[in-house]
Amino acid sequence: MKDKKILIVDDEENIRILFKEELEEEGYEIDVASNGYEALEKIKKSPFDLVVLDIKMPGMDGIQTLNEIKKIKKDQHVILCSAYGEFKQDFSSWISDAYVVKSADTGELKNTIKNILNLT
Amino acid sequence: MNAVELLGEVIEISHSNLEINSRISAILNIIAHRMGFEEVLVFKLDKDKRITCRYSNQDCSLFSLLSKYRCHIGEGIIGSIAQKRIPQYFTYKDIPPRFGCIFFHELDGIIDRYRSFAFVPLSDDSYIYGVMVAISSEKGDLQDREKILLSVIAREIGGLIRVDEIMLSSKKRISELVTLSELGKVLTTNMEPEAALKNIVFIIAKALNATMATIKLNNFVSRFNIQRFTYGQSDPKLERFIDDLEGQAINAKRTTTLSEELYVDDEDISHYSLCSSPIITKNKAIGAMTICSSKKHITFDQNDNIAYLITTIANYISSGLENILLNTRLKDVIKELNETQKRVIEQEKLKSLGEMTANIAHEIKNPLVIIGGFTKRLAKKVNLSQTENRYANIIVNEVARLETILNEVLNYVKDTPVSREPCNINMCIDEILYLFSSDASWEKVKIVKDYDTQLPQIICDIQQIKQVFINILVNSYEAMKGEGEITIKTGTAHINNKPYIKVAISDTGGGIDPMAIDNIFNPFFTTKEKGTGLGLAISNKIIMNNKGRIEVENNVGKGVTFFIYLPLENNL
Ligand SMILES: Nc1ncnc2c1ncn2[C@@H]1O[C@H](COP(=O)(O)OP(=O)(O)O)[C@@H](O)[C@H]1O
Ligand SMILES: [Mg+2]
Repeated sequence: MKDKKILIVDDEENIRILFKEELEEEGYEIDVASNGYEALEKIKKSPFDLVVLDIKMPGMDGIQTLNEIKKIKKDQHVILCSAYGEFKQDFSSWISDAYVVKSADTGELKNTIKNILNLT
Repeated sequence: MNAVELLGEVIEISHSNLEINSRISAILNIIAHRMGFEEVLVFKLDKDKRITCRYSNQDCSLFSLLSKYRCHIGEGIIGSIAQKRIPQYFTYKDIPPRFGCIFFHELDGIIDRYRSFAFVPLSDDSYIYGVMVAISSEKGDLQDREKILLSVIAREIGGLIRVDEIMLSSKKRISELVTLSELGKVLTTNMEPEAALKNIVFIIAKALNATMATIKLNNFVSRFNIQRFTYGQSDPKLERFIDDLEGQAINAKRTTTLSEELYVDDEDISHYSLCSSPIITKNKAIGAMTICSSKKHITFDQNDNIAYLITTIANYISSGLENILLNTRLKDVIKELNETQKRVIEQEKLKSLGEMTANIAHEIKNPLVIIGGFTKRLAKKVNLSQTENRYANIIVNEVARLETILNEVLNYVKDTPVSREPCNINMCIDEILYLFSSDASWEKVKIVKDYDTQLPQIICDIQQIKQVFINILVNSYEAMKGEGEITIKTGTAHINNKPYIKVAISDTGGGIDPMAIDNIFNPFFTTKEKGTGLGLAISNKIIMNNKGRIEVENNVGKGVTFFIYLPLENNL
């Protein structure tokens, strides 16, 4: 598990910190980005096993970022994450691996990550 | 006697502004004094074509006798003069003239006193207004100039009567027109029907100088609380007659009068006169207008002008009433439209309120996740005492509750597309009930199933519909405080001839406060301490999206039944 690298993309610093700490505790190696552009830069530089992508971000939003990521790396695993399921029906969100509604309870996020990385 | 002078006086009087009766009497006095007749009388042709002695000179002794009798045209000497319109002159040598239709015994021995009689028609070229009679005990045969003079004066009196009649009928016509125009005003304003009818009876009673006017409306338009509108005092003894007369007028659809035969227990109330006219709309008598008058003022008669006027007024009211009712209906429609508009506006407001709420909720969501997330970490990280741990747990739980509310709000606001799949509603409900049955808190809820086993499949969004049933069942559970009976009945039904399946969910939770019932489908309306007020709002939205209907039947003190209608396949 130690070798799995996850990139967390969220414009809200405290969310980044929360997710980072929670997931590091699970044994993942975590990197963070505060917007879509930064995320794309990091993905270009080094590979990630998974990207956790917030949808509502200023500038380039999560869906756009997702499309850009898929252009660079077609098989990049991505989990979309948002305050509520507003984009679940949006077709472009379907190219992500999963869709998780943000919650103080990070259980669902952790389970989803495990599933995608085939760690169960 | 100077004829020119005399005529001058007559003309002066006839053009004076004295009252008509005084003018005629004065002229008759002049004839008596200046021409030497003791008795000068004027017989007038009445509207009923009968002739009555109406005027005389001051010292006339025959008036009281002659005015007692009336005769028809052609009857007796007066009638024959009126018919032939030629003057006749008699002297004591001729047979004494018959004055009326009968031979006056009272005249026996009186007529013999007189020596000369002149009968002159009061007529112009086309009309006859009556007959003037001049009687003298002195004169013998009248001279030609006397005869001519009498004819000229008779013509003048005829003219007077004619003008008076025209004036009278035009005055009446004017007052009728005034009445009608007043009625018209009432009938064309957009007064409430009740107020209009009250005004109408008032105007009619005043116009006809009636003791009472009343409008009764038959089994008519149920919107009227009052079925009778009355102005004035009615003698209770008349009630029966009024009822009868109204019945007759309505049945025969024509104006009916009652002037005789007004007796109650031998008590004569025939000083009243009644007239009833049907109020007819669309060829149906919907009521009647009845006027009660004292005979001192008017006696109604079937062929009378007044009966005619009343008929006219009744017709007028009929059409006016239709207008008024149309108006009221129009007002109702406008009111309804306004209300619909208001509701639409409210919905729009709610929608934008919903959108605003969604934005706020969205903004709140992140901080909430952070608060909850870090509280959890805090609880995990540090070795907290039991109390501190409890506090942390409370924060975590409250955050979880807030999140649920936010999710519901956001769910309500967003438009979820409807998926379509075949669904057996009985099975769908059973699955939900299975979920509940595994929950210990539902132990004391008795579920009674009354399924239509032949229930056809429908096409709908199963997940959404399940959500509706869950919301309604949870509400029932909460209303019953976890203890009671829920009955679920399925079947088919038709709305506007279109087939639906119908699910009725009844509980024993005591029902909904009638003050609240209009609001239960509104988002955020709740009577519960920890309610979101979104359950029914979401349910309603879902059912609408699935082209169905949701209705509620409230039995205050007992319970509530929710009806859910979903269209059958061929009705989508
Ligand atoms: N079965 C029921 N019996 C009594 N009251 C009910 C019932 N269902 C709904 N209500 C009333 O309607 C309100 C709105 O219900 P709902 O929209 O589900 O919101 P909530 O349950 O969160 O209050 C409730 O607060 C309650 O007052
Ligand atoms: Mg509820």
